[in-house]
Order: sequence, then structure tokens, then C-alpha cells
Amino acid sequence: MSKKREKQTDSDLVREVKQGDPAAMEEIVKRYSNKVYNLAYHLTRDAHAAEEIMQDVFLTVIAKIGTLTTEAYFSTWLYRVTTNAAYGYLRKEKKFSEQTPVEDIDQEQFLEYDWTNLPDDVLLSEESKEVLRRSIDSLPEAMRTVVVLKDVEGLKNEEIAETLGISVPAVKSRLHRGRLILRQLLSEYFSKYTEPSKEEE
Amino acid sequence: MNCKLCSALFQEFLDNSLSEELIVEVQNHVRACSKCRVSLRTYTVTVTLSRKVDPPCCVSRETLDRLRKIIRENFSKSRGAVV
Repeated sequence: MSKKREKQTDSDLVREVKQGDPAAMEEIVKRYSNKVYNLAYHLTRDAHAAEEIMQDVFLTVIAKIGTLTTEAYFSTWLYRVTTNAAYGYLRKEKKFSEQTPVEDIDQEQFLEYDWTNLPDDVLLSEESKEVLRRSIDSLPEAMRTVVVLKDVEGLKNEEIAETLGISVPAVKSRLHRGRLILRQLLSEYFSKYTEPSKEEE
Repeated sequence: MNCKLCSALFQEFLDNSLSEELIVEVQNHVRACSKCRVSLRTYTVTVTLSRKVDPPCCVSRETLDRLRKIIRENFSKSRGAVV
């Protein structure tokens, strides 16, 4: 029974949930609980909130799955529900951090610093990780969501476009700009360890 | 290829979604231009670090059991069935 469930596509499961099959709903929870939890956690940075959001998301699935007209898009619909719930939580708790003004980003300033050869214990120190977390959290919401979905959760550009209801070029644009901002903020932070590159043109 | 175009292609370069011809052009440009070479390296490691900063974790068994119980109860209620 369990093996059969594992082999079913999302579309099959969604159809069976709509028909009232609790076992199909169990399989959806099994298949997606970690993904929903991780996305909620990476957007809120709060483990307790992420658990609550995960619960709310699956209750929303039960309540709203009948409105899902295209069963093949279940996963992106689920990510959209999760993203909305996470931002709803952040707004309610007023936990939005100060956002980086995009126009202030100077891409030229730190380009000569090659910090990539720093040892892993510097690149992956707790302090560096905290700098990167704060940097991601400070991105404008539209950019931050794309960066988290792509670089943290590993979704494809097409899945992100479907999740957010935007075009693939818009995903690429937000992702590129978001990465450039993160790169600049990391370059500023790591510049204390490095000298400007001595490489010649 | 100039520096601006090279930088604009970093994303597709990392996604391995460029044509063979453009891959070679980007490679040739970064080989010749130290600024773009550093830029591509720092862009790449920024992406790598974003993936490593908080690796995905699993929901605890206890949380998952609690969630399943809530889902079972609500699913039955929403369908008007007896648990």
C-alpha cells in the first residue's frame, strides 16, 4: 500500500484527496512536510513559527484543494501558500528587518577583492553565516523570496515563476540582482580578511 | 564580449543553460579579464554559501506525528466523515 502511494504522482494524490481519500492526504504530508517546514523556516528564521506555518499550510490544503484546477501545479501552489503564510506571519509579528536600498548598491566598489580563497573556517564561520542570513533577510521581499526559493531551497526558475505568478525573465532578473547585493555585502564583510587582488588585466 | 555582458551571463553560466558558444566566450573573457574572473568567483561562492548557510533539516518525529493527527481530524471533519 505504502509503496503504491510512493509511486503515485502529485496529480494522482490531489485527485484522490479531492475525492476524500485520507491516505492520499497522509502521503502529501509525508512528501511535503520537510519542504514546507524548510521554506517557512528560511523565510521566518523561527523554528516555532515554521512549525505553526506548516500546520496552517496543510490545513489550507484540506480547505482549498478543491479550488486547485490544475492538479499538476500542486507543488508550486503549495510553495505559494507557504510563502504567503510566512510573510503573513512576519507582517503580523512586525519582524521585517530593514531592507537594503537597491539603488545604494555599488557593484564596482568591491569587485577587486577576491575573498573566495579564504579558508572554509572563515567562509563558513558562525559570524559569516550570520552576516549572510542578515543580508538575505535585508533584501527587498520580492528579491529575497526568489533568492530563498532558488539558492536555499533549490527550486528551478520555472517552478519559482509558477509559484510567484511571475515570468521566468522576472525570476532571473530578481535572482541576479539579489545575488549581486549579497555578493557585495559579503565582499564588504570579507574585505577585512583580504587585500585587493594583485592579478593583472 | 565586454564585461557588462559577461556579468549578465553569470546566472545562466552557473545554471549550465548557455549555448556551447557562449560558454566558451565567457570562459575566454574571464581568462583575459581579472576583474570578471574575481567577479565570477565571488558570485559563484556567494551562491554556494547561500546553499550552505542553513542546510535543509527534517521535521522531528514528534512534530510530524502531531501534524498527522491534526490533519487526520480536520480531514475527516471537512469531509463530514466519522473518524
